[in-house]
Amino acid sequence: MLAETLSASIVGVEGVAVRVEVDVAFGLPALTIVGLAGSQVQEARERVRSAIRNSGFELPARRITVNLSPADLPKDGTGYDLAIAVGILAASGQLRSVERLADTALVGELALDGAIRPVAGTMALGAAARAAGVPGLLVGSGATAEAAAVAGLEVHGAASLGEAVAHLTGVRKLPAIAPTPLPAAPMRVDAPDLAEVHGQPLGRRALEIAIAGRHNLVLSGPPGIGKTLLLRCAAALLPPLDDEEAVEVSRIYSVAGLLDRRAPLLRARPFRAPHHTISTQALVGGGPRVRPGEASLAHRGVLLLDEMLQFRADALDALRQPLEAGTVTIGRVEGALTMPASFALLSAFNPCPCGWLGARTRACTCEEGTARRYASRLSGPLRDRIDLWVTMDAPVARVDTDGVEPSSAVSHRVAAAWHRQRERQGIANGELPPRELADRNGFGPAVMGLLAQRGRRFNLSPRRLHRTARVARTIADLAGSTSVGREHLDEALRYRAEVAPR
Amino acid sequence: MIGVGAAGPIGNEVGVGGRAGPRTEPAQLLSLARERAGWANLDLSGLDAVDERPFWIALSLVPGLGPVGFARLLLRYGSARAAWSAGPELLGELPRLAADTASGLQRLSLTSVDAIASPVEATTERAGGRIVTALEPGYPPALATVDPRPPVLFVSGDAEALVGPAVAVVGTRRATGYGRSAAAEIADELGRAGVTVVSGLAMGIDGEAHTAAIEAGGRTVAVLPSPLDRIYPPRHRELARRIVSTGGALVSELAPGHAPGRPDFARRNRIIAGLARAVVVVEAPDRSGALLTAAAAIDYGKELFAVPGPIDAVASRGCNRLIADQMATLVTSAAALLQRIGAAPGERQASVLNLSEAEALVLGNLLRRPASIEELMGRTRLATGPLASALTLLEARGLVESYGGATFHATLAARRIGRSGGLDGG
Repeated sequence: MLAETLSASIVGVEGVAVRVEVDVAFGLPALTIVGLAGSQVQEARERVRSAIRNSGFELPARRITVNLSPADLPKDGTGYDLAIAVGILAASGQLRSVERLADTALVGELALDGAIRPVAGTMALGAAARAAGVPGLLVGSGATAEAAAVAGLEVHGAASLGEAVAHLTGVRKLPAIAPTPLPAAPMRVDAPDLAEVHGQPLGRRALEIAIAGRHNLVLSGPPGIGKTLLLRCAAALLPPLDDEEAVEVSRIYSVAGLLDRRAPLLRARPFRAPHHTISTQALVGGGPRVRPGEASLAHRGVLLLDEMLQFRADALDALRQPLEAGTVTIGRVEGALTMPASFALLSAFNPCPCGWLGARTRACTCEEGTARRYASRLSGPLRDRIDLWVTMDAPVARVDTDGVEPSSAVSHRVAAAWHRQRERQGIANGELPPRELADRNGFGPAVMGLLAQRGRRFNLSPRRLHRTARVARTIADLAGSTSVGREHLDEALRYRAEVAPR
Repeated sequence: MIGVGAAGPIGNEVGVGGRAGPRTEPAQLLSLARERAGWANLDLSGLDAVDERPFWIALSLVPGLGPVGFARLLLRYGSARAAWSAGPELLGELPRLAADTASGLQRLSLTSVDAIASPVEATTERAGGRIVTALEPGYPPALATVDPRPPVLFVSGDAEALVGPAVAVVGTRRATGYGRSAAAEIADELGRAGVTVVSGLAMGIDGEAHTAAIEAGGRTVAVLPSPLDRIYPPRHRELARRIVSTGGALVSELAPGHAPGRPDFARRNRIIAGLARAVVVVEAPDRSGALLTAAAAIDYGKELFAVPGPIDAVASRGCNRLIADQMATLVTSAAALLQRIGAAPGERQASVLNLSEAEALVLGNLLRRPASIEELMGRTRLATGPLASALTLLEARGLVESYGGATFHATLAARRIGRSGGLDGG
């Protein structure tokens, strides 16, 4: 007998609907799973066998074939267990009614005793089911909060295979999970405060601009002058995610298995700070089963690279695409896979290996040429994608701590600037395409003329000019100005990147 | 030669910190440089420049035979021709001869002198230069006071540049913005006053000095640590070309084809000091190669000047020490330097700037003293944003320069305008 159930699979950070076809036929007893099923799926045989038996059902001593369709999509993970088990029960005639199988996607890993465990990526899987026109989703009761974040889906949570079968056959219906309100993860509070940073007004200001407009920032300077501390302060300056972004970001975290299942909706903007020993794959994603990397986990938030020049050269180079396009594309045998990765890059590094090149009070002890080679680790194309570049040095004298703004004051200005960008153009200034540098967004002909003039004076590429204009737009937004003026543009140019290593 | 054991294979600067070798004090440098070669006791007036020329060239090419050994041979035989014909017998004359010198002499004396001298003449010409021996009129008169004196020089460019009054402007390759702008200001003032600026074509202070002199319409002479056919550093090839095309000259002690090594950099400094009437050390950390030039200047009786730096600036420590040890005269300004050496300042065109109040305030402050953004905020009471904006405008107009660092400097152009009263409060 033949039966069909619905489930879903993860590709990158997106879900894809999967049909689970089960055929129970005469022949030697066997359970075969086909359809590019990976090792985790193959092991489903043992879990399913035990779960069926331990839930009071019977595993037919027949030849059972399970096909996961589309059969050319590589599948991995343990989320098909539930769909396979229910399919076997349906195909072997152990279910009183099978009508509901056509309108409910089944996602869950089975324990040997028949309990249903939640799986990573429930949110993306649910979204895939809805996109495929499936109205219902049945998950393990631990994953209901996450699943309910997907709008327009009727979500039920079952604790065990027995409960799931009872629900599907109409014996004992499970209550639908209300989609709202979703428990939100608590906002982060462990960032240092800007009031702790000594001096560095230019670095402070550049950080505020970078956060306010989602621009890429580099702080260069000798060790111990507060570069890292300053960047860490950014976490407290980020405005929370809005509703749409929260679902989008949470889905990525869901796929990566990083969500707290009880409070799955992320409200705090991502703030990722990978260590410089990270592999390229971990940074931008990839691997045999493509997983989102730090770049995607920083989507809509901040990717902080401290000691940026210590990162592997190929890892830094892999950031070129996300910095330009806001996405990561991973080439695979089965075709390219694209994941979102739109973030503000905040980075800091010493100008040379010993750290003291250009410092006022201490000599650089590096060999001739070493500093140049070191600085050239930041490749030209990457350098070109830096919007704000601040060269810092230790404060000259006693630092005047009066009037140093705490993070709360700055985050207010940042929030106001975000609001202005939303109202005007719907996206962050850091994402403005060139065609949007127009009158309607406050770029008058006079300021555009000045931009071209300054570009010639400072020998800036068209890409740099465009990026400078976006920064100027953010400076104007921070000042509450509808139009971009000369003073905004000139300030933006103060943070222009060094064209070549010193 | 003189205590530069820690110098890099290519570089006139001695690294600091954590390296072998004791710190070389300027006074120590002096005594080390004071090894007399005996050129002062030589009477060259009886020698025929044309007849001697190939022998001078050939002898100068003997590996390991430097100016000191050369002088000793002249003293013994009276002329290079006589020394040459003495052949291997020469060996007895020279104590402390390196093995390769002995074999070199032996080998050379088997060959005809023209077979050695002509190819060098040809390669020098191909490199755009010419060979000048110490007997010939083209030899810089200033070097007559130098001991040891290079017997043969390879020169490209205008010979006139080696005749007029000259001042050496030297300093570290790891120059700070302060050093760069001071070098530029001094070289500009000298260039404008018609004084030739002599330096070593190195990165940092040297390059800045050459460039400013050219831009001021003056002449400049670069003494290379390398032969004419191999400009070092390669990044200054274009600068070297400009030096020649603007009436200046390139000078080298090394024949084309010679691979420059560590001692060549130290020897070069001696010629820099020799060519100049006075030496200005603009910026030098401890153990900088520029201090060797300073030592040579004192040795040759040239006037030595040093530009002071802040007491906490490592890049200026060598300069400050020269001043503290009363070996160098402190340079208070480029104009004062000009007065000291007895040159008249050149003409300037007065111009007036049109700046906003904030911009004038910032520039006025920077004209008094270079400053970081914190210092400027403290002095001008401007907020970060407007201050950053004003700095960019001043930069765009060429009035302010940060040299890629965290400190901002008023440029030469700004100082000129400030001095002529074109800027209120400047």
